[in-house]
Amino acid sequence: MKISTRGRYGLRAMIDLITHAEGEYISLRSIAERQGISSGYLEGIFAALKKAGLVLGSAGSQGGYLPALPADEITIYRILDALESSLSLTEGSEPDAPPLRAFLNKEVWDRIDSTVAGLFDSITVADLIREFENRDRAVNSSGL
Amino acid sequence: MKLSTKSRYALEALLYMALHAYDHPVSTGEISKETGISEGYLDQIFFRLRKAGLLTAVRGKAGGFLLASSPEETSAGSVVRALEGTLVPVACAEDLSACKSLVRDQCVTRALWVRLSREIGNILDGMTLASLAEAFREKEGAL
Repeated sequence: MKISTRGRYGLRAMIDLITHAEGEYISLRSIAERQGISSGYLEGIFAALKKAGLVLGSAGSQGGYLPALPADEITIYRILDALESSLSLTEGSEPDAPPLRAFLNKEVWDRIDSTVAGLFDSITVADLIREFENRDRAVNSSGL
Repeated sequence: MKLSTKSRYALEALLYMALHAYDHPVSTGEISKETGISEGYLDQIFFRLRKAGLLTAVRGKAGGFLLASSPEETSAGSVVRALEGTLVPVACAEDLSACKSLVRDQCVTRALWVRLSREIGNILDGMTLASLAEAFREKEGAL
């Protein structure tokens, strides 16, 4: 059960955009350089993020993207939902499943799906950034 | 984030054994008949489960497979790990050197993957064949 490369790279790219956007549009090339992701790959990702209403794009020589929402309103769920084909462990509902399978679908696999979705929905990009910055600070103060 | 059918069928087959065949060897043929999972697929799954030490094989006429440990000692997590190798949805969560990107320890997202892995692990490791069998019996009894 893996999060796809697209979801993982897209999440990092979105966070990179948010941390570097200070009014001016950020080029995909700059994100590509900082994150070590190909520009071509990022184009597909940002097309999906734009479609999901998470980024605003501007074409032309000053081209690039800006976040469409503040960091504390962008949940991990919204980003991954835009980039992953499915966040579910299973293929969807199996109405004719025999009793044992139906039981496991409901009590195990669907339960994990709910937990995962709940986790992603409860964490925003602002939360991740804050947690990362605090971790750094904790490490640096350890020498005192 | 798909979980392969082989992992889900592995848990189903072992839960079947915990419910119906905990004290005598059972063949993949019988399990196939009762669960609808193809026998060939079960053979592959059971090969992995045996390799991981979750099943033992009994040869001979009354042969088949037996749970290697009691249903109380067999967690759903160990079953999924036997088929998937790991429960971790992003490799870096359990091993930073598995990170293929240049951000490495400057990665803002890794903490998320660690937390995700932990939550999935907690759920699957907190369930045993015994607890699932009991819950299933209760449910069936209530109908």
